[in-house]
Amino acid sequence: MTTQTQTQNVSVNNFEQCLKCSICTVYCPVSAVTPLYPGPKQAGPDGERYRLKNKEFFDEALKMCLNCKRCEVACPNDVHIGDIIQAARIKYSTHKPSLRDMMLANTDFVGTMASPFAPIANPILKLKPMKAVLHGVMKIDKHRTFPDYSSRKFESWFKKEAAPTQDQYSKHVSYFHGCYVNYNYPQLGKDFVKVMNAVGYGVHLLEKEKCCGVALIANGMPKQAKRQGKVNMNSMRKAIAQGHPILTTSSTCTFTMRDEYDHLLGIDNHDVRDSLSLATRFLFQLIEKGEIKLAFNEDYHKRVAYHSACHMERMGWVPYSTRMLRMIPGIDFVMLESQCCGISGTYGFKKENYERSQAIGKGLFDQIDEVNPDCVATDCETCKWQVEMSTGVPVMNPISIIAEALDVETTRKLNNLD
Amino acid sequence: MTKENNNHYDVIVIGGGITGAGTARDCAMRGLKVLLVERHDLSTGATGRNHGLMHSGARYAVTDHESATECIRENMILRKIARHCVEETDGLFITLPEDDLKFQSLFVQKCGEAGISAEIIDPQLAKVMEPAVNPNLIGAVKVPDASVDPFRLTMANVLDAQLHGAETLIYHEVIDVLIEQNRVIGVKLRNNHNGETINAYASVTINAAGIWGTLIAKMAGVKINMFPAKGSLLIFGHRVNHMVINRCRKPANADILVPDDAVCVIGTTSDRVPIETCDDMRVTPEEVEVLLAEGMKLAPSLGTTRILRAYAGVRPLVASDDDPSGRSISRGIVTLDHEKRDGLAGFITITGGKMMTYRLMAEEVTNLACEKLGLTKKCETATTPLPGSEPKEETKKYSFSQKAAQGRHGTLNESVDRGDVSSDALVCECEGVSVGEVRYAVTKLHVHNLINLRRRTRVGMGTCQGELCACRAAGVMCSDDKGAQKAINDLSGFMNERWKGMQPVAWGDNLAEAQLTAKIYQGLLGVDRLANERRVEYYEI
Amino acid sequence: MKFDIIIIGGGLSGLTAGIALAEAGKDVALVSAGQSTLHFTGGTLDLLGCDEQGNYVQKPLEAIETLNSKHPYKKLENVSSLAGVAKKLLERAGIATTGNETSNHWRITPIGGLMPTWLSMEGMSTVEEPNQMPWRKVALVNIINYLDLPTKFLAAGLREKGVEVDVKTVTLPELKELRQSPTEMRSTNIAKVIENNDLIAKLADEVNGVASEGYDMVLLPAVLGVTNGDKSQQLLKLINAPATYVATLPPSVPGVRMQTLLRKRFNALGGTFFTGDQVVEGIFDGNTLKGVKTAKLEDTVLEADNFILATGSFVSRGLVADYNHVYEPALGVDVDDLGLDRKTWAKIDVTEAQPYMEMGVKTDSELHCLCNGAAVNNLYAAGSILNGHNSIKLLDGAGVDMLTALQVVNNIMK
Repeated sequence: MTTQTQTQNVSVNNFEQCLKCSICTVYCPVSAVTPLYPGPKQAGPDGERYRLKNKEFFDEALKMCLNCKRCEVACPNDVHIGDIIQAARIKYSTHKPSLRDMMLANTDFVGTMASPFAPIANPILKLKPMKAVLHGVMKIDKHRTFPDYSSRKFESWFKKEAAPTQDQYSKHVSYFHGCYVNYNYPQLGKDFVKVMNAVGYGVHLLEKEKCCGVALIANGMPKQAKRQGKVNMNSMRKAIAQGHPILTTSSTCTFTMRDEYDHLLGIDNHDVRDSLSLATRFLFQLIEKGEIKLAFNEDYHKRVAYHSACHMERMGWVPYSTRMLRMIPGIDFVMLESQCCGISGTYGFKKENYERSQAIGKGLFDQIDEVNPDCVATDCETCKWQVEMSTGVPVMNPISIIAEALDVETTRKLNNLD
Repeated sequence: MTKENNNHYDVIVIGGGITGAGTARDCAMRGLKVLLVERHDLSTGATGRNHGLMHSGARYAVTDHESATECIRENMILRKIARHCVEETDGLFITLPEDDLKFQSLFVQKCGEAGISAEIIDPQLAKVMEPAVNPNLIGAVKVPDASVDPFRLTMANVLDAQLHGAETLIYHEVIDVLIEQNRVIGVKLRNNHNGETINAYASVTINAAGIWGTLIAKMAGVKINMFPAKGSLLIFGHRVNHMVINRCRKPANADILVPDDAVCVIGTTSDRVPIETCDDMRVTPEEVEVLLAEGMKLAPSLGTTRILRAYAGVRPLVASDDDPSGRSISRGIVTLDHEKRDGLAGFITITGGKMMTYRLMAEEVTNLACEKLGLTKKCETATTPLPGSEPKEETKKYSFSQKAAQGRHGTLNESVDRGDVSSDALVCECEGVSVGEVRYAVTKLHVHNLINLRRRTRVGMGTCQGELCACRAAGVMCSDDKGAQKAINDLSGFMNERWKGMQPVAWGDNLAEAQLTAKIYQGLLGVDRLANERRVEYYEI
Repeated sequence: MKFDIIIIGGGLSGLTAGIALAEAGKDVALVSAGQSTLHFTGGTLDLLGCDEQGNYVQKPLEAIETLNSKHPYKKLENVSSLAGVAKKLLERAGIATTGNETSNHWRITPIGGLMPTWLSMEGMSTVEEPNQMPWRKVALVNIINYLDLPTKFLAAGLREKGVEVDVKTVTLPELKELRQSPTEMRSTNIAKVIENNDLIAKLADEVNGVASEGYDMVLLPAVLGVTNGDKSQQLLKLINAPATYVATLPPSVPGVRMQTLLRKRFNALGGTFFTGDQVVEGIFDGNTLKGVKTAKLEDTVLEADNFILATGSFVSRGLVADYNHVYEPALGVDVDDLGLDRKTWAKIDVTEAQPYMEMGVKTDSELHCLCNGAAVNNLYAAGSILNGHNSIKLLDGAGVDMLTALQVVNNIMK
């Protein structure tokens, strides 16, 4: 009898686990800077209960949620507050994305368009009249520095410069580079290839890679995100079939594909999830197991402040990156208090969000000023834009720092490659 | 009570449940001068402790044709006059594999005879219409069941009675029935807040005190054999189902699941209890077990839904035989003209019946009272909308709390102050109760304490059962320094009252919630140490 | 991933142990499933406020002697010295406190009561003697439309103790703006608005404007200093009369500050913090815990020489009650359920001592957890997860959290 009755009084409806303690509201970066957002507790579990009664209780103000998931990290009772809010937007919102939102959300499409014209596009995107157009017509904030578009896509570089030599390695990984590496910052991809090759891993691209869709979700285009997600999952399945783990250098892409695909988009990713990891995590685990070794240049010195990107924090993987960085003898490591930088992907690019975005990040910028590092390390590319623009301090992905500090020759020897 | 009229009324109605409120309204609408008295709060008895089910009558169709026809008639009336208290959810009567599907055809036939639309639907379709329903069902019948909020319904009747000149005294208990020459001439009332007593006089005194009516009758020297039948229920944290779900079989334990406001309620059990226990009903672990086990047969997901609380009420059935279960007793209306029955003039008892048929009960007893007073005005309660339920076009865009408040007060929501930041601030975040709504309730809806406020506004009825809102609400309600000690006592009592319903289901998240609440109220605030008095009403569920 | 010590639980107890061990040069990791119950406290820490009969205690060390043998304090080698260590540990983390273990002082509760306490964060409103209020005339200055400090109760409570109280309110345009949110005008958001927009001086002007003269104390809601104590002190200094803070309804600004500063200290000492993650399994080898698995690290096992379980009570999910049992969900160690079944876990009167409050994990005299009756030789328990005391009735929560943590640290370092 009792086995049939409630075993827990813990609801499968996750929102009911909420104890109404209000801790999430302390850590919400948005409600701290605007009274128009109802806050994570109200937008999440409280609102959900009433939305289940009647969908009329849905409030379009939920679009102000950054989806940073800091509420979830703070929640002592494992309520998936951010998921509840985003799922409600997907289910109930009748708001149609604007042209601007569509443009910002389609990172790979815009990237494809901009890259061939990068020498032209970059100066143009920086010109005052162009910024005025973006600000006025497109409602992209004029204060924003658009990330530079690289004249040569990472994929093009890879196919020409790297691909031919990858088969010489005995072990292999597939790399989901993401839009940022492809269009804006191929150097990170090159750094990744350098590090992986140095420890004896050949790097391969996926058969087909689409933007992970994080921006599409945020901008109210879940259907397109789902389509793209399915393409990615299928490509990854093929790579896994060849025995390749799939690595990324972006915490947000990783988080989106591992967690949001399943929780928000309903994409079945259970067979892919375990094989999909972040490069620093993968490397750390290999080092722990004694399978690889790294050697660093003795004359390398850098004061590095680590910023925990929101989705990195949500994944719970921050220590993989920080412990990797701390392995580098020449690094003077400082851990920044974890808080949101305010950019949240495309959010901070929108004119209506600019001030809010900067206000959210202020605490972090102040901390960085205080610490005065040579560079800030973070696993998220959009944090890079925001922190660089707002503090002037260069921001590097931990993989780039490792690549910079790496003594390639010794490393190759240690891994029996020469 | 105004002084100049010497406390003299045409009618005194005893009992602030739905029957008393409805009777006061009807009497007042016929032009009578009415006093409504209630010893605790409005709707504290059986009225506030049932499913909130607006029966189509289908449940009684097979066993009690008369009740069934009354129900469907009143059901249709309430949809019109009490729009803001009713949600037109419809209901399903489902047949499970262990039930006899043959009962279904009898059921449908009897519904038809009572005038209840009962449509057999394919079990597959039933699952689409109500995804929460037990997927193993083998039969389903759709009937016009609905959900009704008894607190709102009672309040709306009281408000309308007042609009027609009636006076209301809550926390005034009848301690004696005044009799002169075989005629009841009024009642002696004790103010339960300060102990003062007053007399009120009337040509006709109507006993509408539910199960406690037997005690009132005793004071008047007449005997009514009541049959107190305890029914326990569980409230779940959110709406699992959007249609009422019933079992298509003879009425039994825990076979109705009703969506009410933001929650759903499973019930009931049925056990005869001694009249002395009716003031302090507690739900036993065994009852919780039965409710859960049976409830999960209606909607399996109840097994994984948070239970907020357990409560119990007492059905005011009039005993007619020694049936130990009480199920076979008619829910029919009993109007006792004590002049004819016992030779005691000026005294009428209205009892039996159900919340569903309160209006009809009120009409019957008011007819009798009017007859005694020589009045011929016809009853209009079936066609006049209650305050809050007047037809109105809804065009405004509302915020969360405004929408929630509109659900609670209907068109009277317009009287809630809003638009300024101070009024819009939320006191209760679970149920969206604003400062403005608290103030409105305090000034307009007979609110003396937090329990009254909860019944009028749902403060503290949400997931956390008062964890932060109770203190905020007490702060907003507290008028001055002198009131502070009373308000702290009230706060302490309120938290105990909330706990009383949580304790029978205190495991899982509820136990964690209880510990958090105790940490805040006892550890941080020290409410228990500052409170110096507990009043009887705090023991109300 | 290998560490010297892994602490499960990131509240007051876990952080105390983590800091003490990191200060001793250990490589410490802390796994925390969300934020802690410090968020519901009032900027004060209790050691022992009541004896077992429910009487307030003035001399906690003496009263601790009278506690029954099951109380966690009975497993401490030297309460007085550990209490001193705790206070200094807080100080090094940037949390200055007043008070000491030899004599309780009294904190003012948000509804105007006085309760005995051990340490109060700098700036919190306290008195030395409950029957002898040090102020003649007090200005109680609240922020307009802030609902989480019931000033009428607070004023009435003080007046009852013979203090003359004037209740005043102040606001700023930025706070009016914040109040446009029906829900989010909470203590911590007020703090962020004031601190991030450099409004402290303006707020002080407003307070001085309404409490200009004749007050020997200005009481303010504790809505300043969410990240560090400097800003809360800054405001107090700018107020003409002596000024202190009164705790509010949760979330508690001083509590959040304490949590933040302790965590910062732990990070600065090189500790590794696994945020928002839960231990889901322990890997045992006989009576030794080899490692733990967490929900988010998946296949990575966290290994250490010693482990400390400091996950708190039911509210923090350190203990879980299902329909039939009370259990410890992270490692499945033995729980003392007082031999009760569900029907008797809780009593019907909420103000009675609730049996569930005394449930917790079983430990031996050195605070080793028990697993199937046998002590696990490298797994200790500390804080609210320990059985044998009712922190709400005894007002001993923070003391148990900190002192048992420090005792465990001593036991590990032996």
